Amino acid sequence: MPSVLEKIRVLGENSKYDICASTASSRTDKYPKLFGDSKNWIGTTASAGICHSYTPDGRCMSLFKTLYTNKCIYNCKYCFSHNCKKKLSFTPEEYARTFMKLYSMNVVEGVFISSGVCGSADDTTEEMLEAIKLLRFKYNFQGYVHFKCLPGVSQYLLKEAISLSDRISINTEASTKDYLAEIAEQKDFKNDIIMRQRWLKEIRIKHNDETLKVIKDLKQDAQLKYQEKMIKDRRNNGYKKFRWDGAPILNSGQTTQFVVGAAENESDYDLLKRIDWGYKEVDLRRAYFSSFIPIEGTPLACKQAAPLAREHRLYQSDWLLRIYHYKLKDLKEILIEDDNLPIGDPKIHLARLYFKDHGLVDPNQASYSDLLRVPGIGPISAKRIINLRSKKFKFRRRQDLKSVGVVLKRAEPYLLINGKNQTTLQNFIYQDNNSAPQEEMI
Amino acid sequence: MKNSTIKKDPLEIIGRAKGHSYREIIDKLPRHCKFSPYLIDQVKNIPEVILRNSGTPFAKKINRMMREVTTEAYRAKQFTRTEINNRGVLFGVVLLKHKVLDSVLNYFHERWPQCIICLYNEYSCKTGVINEKGTIQEIDAPLKSVVEKVSKNRPVIPYFDDIQFSGKEIFETLYKSQFISERENKSYFKRMIPDKCFELPGMRHGVEKRFRNKRINEFL
Ligand code: SF4
Repeated sequence: MPSVLEKIRVLGENSKYDICASTASSRTDKYPKLFGDSKNWIGTTASAGICHSYTPDGRCMSLFKTLYTNKCIYNCKYCFSHNCKKKLSFTPEEYARTFMKLYSMNVVEGVFISSGVCGSADDTTEEMLEAIKLLRFKYNFQGYVHFKCLPGVSQYLLKEAISLSDRISINTEASTKDYLAEIAEQKDFKNDIIMRQRWLKEIRIKHNDETLKVIKDLKQDAQLKYQEKMIKDRRNNGYKKFRWDGAPILNSGQTTQFVVGAAENESDYDLLKRIDWGYKEVDLRRAYFSSFIPIEGTPLACKQAAPLAREHRLYQSDWLLRIYHYKLKDLKEILIEDDNLPIGDPKIHLARLYFKDHGLVDPNQASYSDLLRVPGIGPISAKRIINLRSKKFKFRRRQDLKSVGVVLKRAEPYLLINGKNQTTLQNFIYQDNNSAPQEEMI
Repeated sequence: MKNSTIKKDPLEIIGRAKGHSYREIIDKLPRHCKFSPYLIDQVKNIPEVILRNSGTPFAKKINRMMREVTTEAYRAKQFTRTEINNRGVLFGVVLLKHKVLDSVLNYFHERWPQCIICLYNEYSCKTGVINEKGTIQEIDAPLKSVVEKVSKNRPVIPYFDDIQFSGKEIFETLYKSQFISERENKSYFKRMIPDKCFELPGMRHGVEKRFRNKRINEFL
């Protein structure tokens, strides 16, 4: 019988390529928790951003991240399952207990549960859910839980998973059906993944609409009775009707993850197109990218690893789509051959292109969207600039911009401060020769 | 720069980019070990915009002091390793120069509301205790005796009895399992765990101190 330690060693190692942000989840307190703010709850997600440990590569390790089992009916070409001879599984009790121990030591902040598909997606998911239910209802853990859904899992189990967790995700792995077939031929892109992503969105919206209506329609007395019944029935059924803690709305958003560079010829544009679709169609909260790393003993062992810089550029572009609301077609303009992103920060490439046509930006006149296009100015500093302008403040000095959070080193080449542009060496040489073409300065 | 021009500067009101407000400074600065009330009087004479932007050497000093206080509390929350006994007493050791013990105790209290939390401060050689109701007490005694004393009157609680096994090895195994050699990034690691954090009691002989089973300082 393998020990818990052995399981953690193997299953932890098998999950190391899965990516998750630290407890980046905010639970809304807009609605009361029907089960009350019990003093019996353990843990919190309030202090998001606390990372208790860092792995030697510098990434924070704030979650208990292991697979539930590494037994898998699939045979994805990039996956460890080809060479990992030891096939192990946790039991729900083991999993929950081990986590609570680590939580009591203040070395982890929450749970990230993922798994291979043992038997069927439903069987494995049921076991994973059992572990999470133990955490929620036996150990009264109210901290962060990220639940990784398995491809092809049933809708009713997805509903349970959403009710019990803070974050939910399904790995898309590749951007299209063909690319997925190339690296994981047994997975059905449309059915196993895309349809499940759509379900996750529908379940949440439908649930929130219906439950809020039910609660609103109940008279105060009835609400109390309903509440009592739910508290009694929390472990069995209550959590199916509400969120695990009794809040009537489900706010666990979905994320996804891609293996970058495993499928031949899959371009950055293909990946960006897919995440753009995700933001529009399935309420994706964010996407993660994991550079392909060949694992010995797998069919892709001889394939070259994808450069980490590519992963980084994808994150930067994703940020532009998600936070800066750039359009996909903007990003398309800077692509180089094979539809990949050029080396360097995509925002700088975009700015070079944009300001070549539109001229430099005067922070006293530029629109919010123009300000956002300047490298070194983010949504917060752009808003501050607009705010200050509405109070009739004029930006005349570099310090004025610095004090609202503008990163001058990056922004200055694109700005006109008090009517002047930064004097770069190139600029200086041109001035000396009495010619100063603006676009070349940039 | 004249005061009148500064007062008109709207940055003072809405241009918050960095630094701290008067209120935050008045609340937090007294926690600094080198605080004197005279500092607050001086702070009140400086426009907020100057304070926020470290506009004078004095403002710079205030911001540094504020940073020291917040960082110490934050680091203690991150890197204090705790243990829990079967009577629901959670305990650990901290090294706090500034007066932030209450904020660290409250942090653990929020997580473990049914527990009594005892944190021994190696700096002051006192043990801070927070009970289930959130009342804080500082006791001039070593951790072991405080834990024994508070545990004595409490029954064994099955919940905590259930997690009475050693977790150290479990964490070390989990920690090692997450290492991806292809992503090795020494400078980033060093940045995330600055050397001074190794001095925190919770980090002593901790696995984070090691990099591929060598002490981090052997590499750097
Ligand atoms: S589904 Fe594919 S990637 Fe996931 S564990 Fe199974 S073989 Fe590996």
